[in-house]
Amino acid sequence: MGIFSKSTGGFREAKGDLILENVTKSFATFTAVDDLSLTVPRGSFFALLGPSGCGKTTTLRMVAGLEQPTAGRVKIGSTDLTGSRPYERPVNTVFQSYALFPHLTVRDNVAFGPKRRGVADAVAEANKTLELVQLSHLADRKPTQLSGGQQQRVAVARALVNHPEVLLLDEPLGALDLKLRREMQVELKRIQMEVGLTFVHVTHDQEEAMTMADTVAVMNLGKIEQMGAPEVLYDLPRTKFVANFLGQSNLLHGTVQGTDGDSVVIGSGDHKVKVRQARMATGEGGEAIFGVRPEKTRIHDTDPGPQLSGASIGPGTLLDVSFSGVATQYLVEIPGVGRWAVYEQNLDLDRIDNKPGDQVWISWNPGHAFGVRS
Amino acid sequence: MSALAHLGSTGGGAQAPGGAAPEPTKKGGFTAYLLLLPGVLWLLVFFVAPMVQLAAVSLQSQFPGYPGYYYRDVNFGSYLTAITEYLPHFGRSLLFAGAATLFAFVLAYPLAYAMAFKAGKWRGVMMICVIAPFFTSFILRTVAWRQILADEGPIASTLRFLHLLPGGHITETWVAVVAGLTYNFLPFMVLPIYASLERADPKIIEAGGDLYANGLTTFRRVTLPMSMPGVLAGTLLTFIPAAGDYVNAELLGSDTSTKMVGNVIESQFFKVLGGFPVAAALSFTLMAVILALVFLYVRRYGTEELL
Ligand SMILES: Nc1ncnc2c1ncn2[C@@H]1O[C@H](COP(=O)(O)OP(=O)(O)OP(=O)(O)O)[C@@H](O)[C@H]1O
Ligand SMILES: [Mg+2]
Repeated sequence: MGIFSKSTGGFREAKGDLILENVTKSFATFTAVDDLSLTVPRGSFFALLGPSGCGKTTTLRMVAGLEQPTAGRVKIGSTDLTGSRPYERPVNTVFQSYALFPHLTVRDNVAFGPKRRGVADAVAEANKTLELVQLSHLADRKPTQLSGGQQQRVAVARALVNHPEVLLLDEPLGALDLKLRREMQVELKRIQMEVGLTFVHVTHDQEEAMTMADTVAVMNLGKIEQMGAPEVLYDLPRTKFVANFLGQSNLLHGTVQGTDGDSVVIGSGDHKVKVRQARMATGEGGEAIFGVRPEKTRIHDTDPGPQLSGASIGPGTLLDVSFSGVATQYLVEIPGVGRWAVYEQNLDLDRIDNKPGDQVWISWNPGHAFGVRS
Repeated sequence: MSALAHLGSTGGGAQAPGGAAPEPTKKGGFTAYLLLLPGVLWLLVFFVAPMVQLAAVSLQSQFPGYPGYYYRDVNFGSYLTAITEYLPHFGRSLLFAGAATLFAFVLAYPLAYAMAFKAGKWRGVMMICVIAPFFTSFILRTVAWRQILADEGPIASTLRFLHLLPGGHITETWVAVVAGLTYNFLPFMVLPIYASLERADPKIIEAGGDLYANGLTTFRRVTLPMSMPGVLAGTLLTFIPAAGDYVNAELLGSDTSTKMVGNVIESQFFKVLGGFPVAAALSFTLMAVILALVFLYVRRYGTEELL
């Protein structure tokens, strides 16, 4: 580990899932990552999603070895990598700012890792990887002579060429415009399927996380709030933060008032709503937060009646109607509850002609409701 | 300067009413030339004119029998004298300046590296320490080194006590001259290297580690190449003035064995009757040699597009 050791010295061959065990990282008085545990199955595309400053980069840096955890362990399979240097780990990073070597050509940038590892034909490996990211024609350029999207692909190639056990991508698409972002998302997904490596992709774009990843972990304040397949996470968020960060949710803060068959009854003021027991995550002291997604709700200009009791709310005042062709978005102020949104696809033959100021009710299929912790 | 600019613009205005509006590109070109004018004038007056004058002096011939009197001529005799008689001085100038540049680099790089990456809140203090000597006269500081390195000074007497000073002196030797040059031009090496290191994105250096290069390899393959523009600037800023320097050799060196070209030029100009053409020829030769060396050096290390 000394500065005179050979560059390949101490390299750890490790295969398997990426495992973080109770990892904590503190900077002076501030805890950036707080007792975080997770397992990323080998070969999966894993997205770490969270707001700015929640500790995503710090988590990646601990996996890369650029930062050492204050407590906890970082493992790949059964090999404990905690304490080892970045150059000893079978892990490569695509940095947010790309961090390409400005003094080297694209080809030499990509060949850098294989050369350090003593790979026999480093340049041939580099050329092969450049082909994979479709940049062979630019191999002799310097990084400054490339566009943002091209630089991004060089950064991916430079990491991929090493066939790391885990590839870390720190908001690799953050600097690209929307169109290029979408293209690169498809491209990255294609590459991941082709090479079959474990990708850990950090982003704060929820759409990006959901479209690309097999598993999404939502992170907040240094902790993982919830983790799972995108559909599952979206359909059944377990915390208020996830309900609002991943898509949008209509929430009702109340208390548990009892059960009705296999449903929990949540009340707040005059309003009573029901959530299936299995979809309920209860908070402390009987406090409960009810939620339903805006696109799962419908708007009514009359009280939908008792047959929908527990799966409807109202009356409320319509604040805003915005028609966007495919769908119409309503914003409703419900006294004592707050503002709810309704997205309705424009399927009705006779359009309901609601105007701001009208009294309206909102209903949903009871199976879509969920209960979250605060 | 503003008067000149004003004159120029009236000239341009006088043309305009005559015909159609001037072409924008032409107008841009005209403005660009106008903006260049002060610089070009400055160069003409303070660089080209003295050079021409110096060249003329170096080619003059002496009136036979009248020492100190010259006539205009194209006589390369002074160059012959300069090169044949003072070859050792040229050798010393380049050797001492080269050695000083090397030592300054060896001292400056770690210092600049520490300032850029390790100093944290001490960075400002270190920067002041590098620059502070400039607030004292160059001559005064060199004289101070003469005291420090003097035979009875702390360094020389300690070394003598340890039997590590075979000649018995530090002053009056090339060691003192090179040390003085190194000391005096060190900041010119530190600052450009620091600037280039400070500008380097730390993420790029981290990327070296991420791509299987250990500390030493990352330094050799990433950090050092990225700081090459600074190293290039620093070595030029040290070598060029050091090669032409005469103060260090004068104050720290011996009367005979450590004189550099600068000392000869100085004495030919001020102390030798009729020495003007030789002094001018020496100046031109030194300039030519340095230019050639710098050209080769920059060709070798400076062509890579960096940052
Ligand atoms: N070296 C450090 N010293 C002190 N605090 C740090 C350091 N590095 C990160 N932090 C703090 O740790 C927290 C998490 O930082 P991190 O870079 O992991 O956030 P992030 O989730 O990647 O955010 P972003 O989406 O903005 O990149 C931040 O509040 C940051 O200020
Ligand atoms: Mg980050």
